[in-house]
Amino acid sequence: MDQLPNLGREQEMLSIMGLNSMDELFSNIPEDVRRKKPLPLPPPQSEEEIWRDAQHLLGSNIDLDSRPSFLSAGLSRNFVPTMVGMLATRGEFLTSYTPYQAEVSQGMLQAMWEFQTMISELVNLPISNVSMYDASTSAAEAITCAVRVHNKKATQKDTIYVSELVPPHRMSVIKNYVQGSGINLHTLKHDENGHLDIDNASIAHGSCAVYVEQPNSFGILDEGLLNLKDKIGDNTALIVGVDAVSLGLVSPPGDWGADIVVGEGQPFGIGPTFGGPIYGIFACTEKYIRQMPGRIVGQTYDTNEKKAFTLTLSTREQHIRRHRATSNICSNETLIALMGAMHMSLLGPEGITVLAKRVAASTEATRKALSSIDGVELIHPKSSIFRDFAIKIPGDSEEAVLFMDSKGVIAGLPMGLWWESHSSSILIGCDERTSESDISSLVSAIKEWIKEVKN
Amino acid sequence: MSDIFSFNGSPNAGWSQPDPILSDSEVLETIPSSMLRSIPPAWPRASEPELVRHYTWLSKRNFGIDTGFYPLGSCTMKHNPRVNERIVNLPGIDRMHPLQPEHQIQGILSIFYEMQEMLAICSGMDQVTLQPVAGAQGEFTAIRCIQEYHRERGEGHRNKVIVPDSAHGTNPASASMCGYEIIEIPSAEDGRIDLEALQSVVGEDTAAMMITNPSTLGVFEPDIARASEMVHSAGGQMYYDGANFNAIIGKTDPGLMGFDAVHYNLHKTFSQPHGGGGPGSGPIGVKEHLSKYLPSPIASRREISEDDPEGVGDGYWYNWVAPEKTIGKVQQWHGNAGAVIRCWAFYRRYGRELERMSEHAVLNANYLRFKIMNPDPDVLTKIHAMPLDGAPTDFVMHEFTLSMIDMKNKVGVTGKDIAKRLLDYGVMAPTLYFPMIVPECLMIEPTETESKEVLDKFAKDFLTILTEDPDIIKGAPYTTDVSRVDEVWAARNLILRHPGNNSEDN
Repeated sequence: MDQLPNLGREQEMLSIMGLNSMDELFSNIPEDVRRKKPLPLPPPQSEEEIWRDAQHLLGSNIDLDSRPSFLSAGLSRNFVPTMVGMLATRGEFLTSYTPYQAEVSQGMLQAMWEFQTMISELVNLPISNVSMYDASTSAAEAITCAVRVHNKKATQKDTIYVSELVPPHRMSVIKNYVQGSGINLHTLKHDENGHLDIDNASIAHGSCAVYVEQPNSFGILDEGLLNLKDKIGDNTALIVGVDAVSLGLVSPPGDWGADIVVGEGQPFGIGPTFGGPIYGIFACTEKYIRQMPGRIVGQTYDTNEKKAFTLTLSTREQHIRRHRATSNICSNETLIALMGAMHMSLLGPEGITVLAKRVAASTEATRKALSSIDGVELIHPKSSIFRDFAIKIPGDSEEAVLFMDSKGVIAGLPMGLWWESHSSSILIGCDERTSESDISSLVSAIKEWIKEVKN
Repeated sequence: MSDIFSFNGSPNAGWSQPDPILSDSEVLETIPSSMLRSIPPAWPRASEPELVRHYTWLSKRNFGIDTGFYPLGSCTMKHNPRVNERIVNLPGIDRMHPLQPEHQIQGILSIFYEMQEMLAICSGMDQVTLQPVAGAQGEFTAIRCIQEYHRERGEGHRNKVIVPDSAHGTNPASASMCGYEIIEIPSAEDGRIDLEALQSVVGEDTAAMMITNPSTLGVFEPDIARASEMVHSAGGQMYYDGANFNAIIGKTDPGLMGFDAVHYNLHKTFSQPHGGGGPGSGPIGVKEHLSKYLPSPIASRREISEDDPEGVGDGYWYNWVAPEKTIGKVQQWHGNAGAVIRCWAFYRRYGRELERMSEHAVLNANYLRFKIMNPDPDVLTKIHAMPLDGAPTDFVMHEFTLSMIDMKNKVGVTGKDIAKRLLDYGVMAPTLYFPMIVPECLMIEPTETESKEVLDKFAKDFLTILTEDPDIIKGAPYTTDVSRVDEVWAARNLILRHPGNNSEDN
């Protein structure tokens, strides 16, 4: 309870107000709704005791860095430069609120304006906001945004098309977000190589939006998507979910007609951190600017003609527009976006290229090593991949992953957790830190398990 | 002024990293050339020393709680204990993946479980999910659960959500995103719920009422139980916006008031640092009848059996469970786990004494209000016009509102002018023009972590401003990094990114 500077001075303050007891301050709470008993909770702890308990509890977890790990599935086991955490947790950043008072918030405002620029550069679209909660809510709100923009001219009203390979947790977020607007959600098929059935994609022509991912949940980079915009036409938004790191190597969706790009920003700025706080990227063309969700920083001037920054386009937002707002988002993930901006600034154009190549190299090296194992089958042997790829094994993948875990390897995601039809598939995730020795540990563990099942 | 893009040095000076484990040609031949990026993103090329200077400079141009008093009403800007930051840097959270199997995450699950239980206890709810990552997402999630509840009971026709006109903008926005029509009811003269107005709108089309208590005026609604009854008897559900939960812990709870669902702003009540706009964390709690709709999964536990590994040593085995009729996911993983763990550390500091936190929040708010509304006689004679209480009530809870309408009418000084002038006195401005029902509103929330001396100084400075030359106030601020910023120019010109490294820019 060392957080209360006025502890022990209550009477002094009360008597200045002409009061005798703290209870008087709560006298407006009617008797019938008052809590009668103390909270059944443990006693207060000191900082030292809390640290001890935190070390014990969190120390009992098994972290990804403690052993060879191939679990990615949308998050990156990255390495964040040391300065990122140190600078972002400077109290002036860490303990500030949304910069409503621009005159004393130029630091964060400028940092976010710079962040917007970096995201804009990364995906090659002109506009970016200062973050969404995560890749899934970015995708969901991109879809509702696109419906608001395109529905009037759409020949398939209130209709969107989503790749059938969008992972189930993201699909669930999307469904929760779109159900209230009466949006009809259809799926787009993929072929046996994991590529979008591009000829079939023209069924989405005239709808409000198409959402696809590059790479998709099987890690597949799909060349056919480069022609997708032609198939669906100008009046249907092409929304692309990206692996942000891949854009150091592969063509940004802005180059091939994407109208909105979303994705997970986590690889830049913060560890996987059990899935949050992370941040969603949201970038778009000018067409969507007045319908997009989230905070946006604009450059302006002060009364002395000095360059300055401020939150702008607030009339889209809930605190002004209330139930007609483009989104309910208020708190976002600014601090994590700030960490992202720092990380991106250190990487630079050359660094992101190297980083993407490191991930691609690890993915390819791991795939090559696993494909040579008797009993392991690549599900999409002909496809280009980035970070993730799927293998089929002779048996239940959840059991296999548990077995390999007992051998000290986190072997990836048993894909049956996502789709029942994939109960003997494992999604192997690689990253820039995957080493030759990690790969050989994985190879031995899989071989051992295969030997085990065969016996 | 300097910007990050002015650091554009040699590629060799940048941050170094290991080489890929395959050669360039081995990597490039795996990807069709049509898919390769031709020009890398024009990011800055900052070396580590340059990066440190730039962001340190920016941080000095930013005001946080660490800088000074931050009485931003409704936002509960209390001190953020730093052991919480130290904890979330432990690999047992920072280097964890949400899809790891249960036996690898016993520590996190036990903290999740403890937080769910604690929040349920403090709010009088039966089940809690930690998945929503912000207050607004908590609202959305709870309204989705309520929507499914009605649908399953064959009452999907209930299509209206009632909010008072003093509600946070997120309330109507969240309900609207779920597809509801919003019925806004006016507050009574004194800022309370207008029960007659409520009675006139509740009916068989009512899905829910969303309300915060204490209200955004900082006033406890004495008629809250009656309002709950009215909504319930019409078949609607009561939703508690937990933005002002900081005021009441241990004194009352939403369960006692008759609420069915509640969201908690962990970044307010439990001190997750707000980081310039987020992250937040917006868990929700619900009564039993709504719990089967909650997002999935939720942390649970059972007594440890002989076959189990050791766990965290408390005799329990922790596991995920999926609520029976779950709405699925609202965030793709398990919410902002890092925020939840910070807030766990914060909660542990108070434990059963959380009530003291609320008492001091309320004590500080009332004290500050008293000091502002009761100036020394010699000061009073110099003041152009005294503020008016946003809600005429003997005591407020954790925050209070002031209307500066008399200042505006008398000397042309607006609430905004006063807010800007306060910046010159080295404090953050209060929340401005909210709630909208109070003209020229300033909403002030000191929180429990400010000393009497800080409150005394703020009251003194605030009253001094009311005596200043109106033209001085209208021209404020003067001592900040930039003078008053032109928001209209920004909205008209929409310069939303740096023009790029090759362009000339001032």
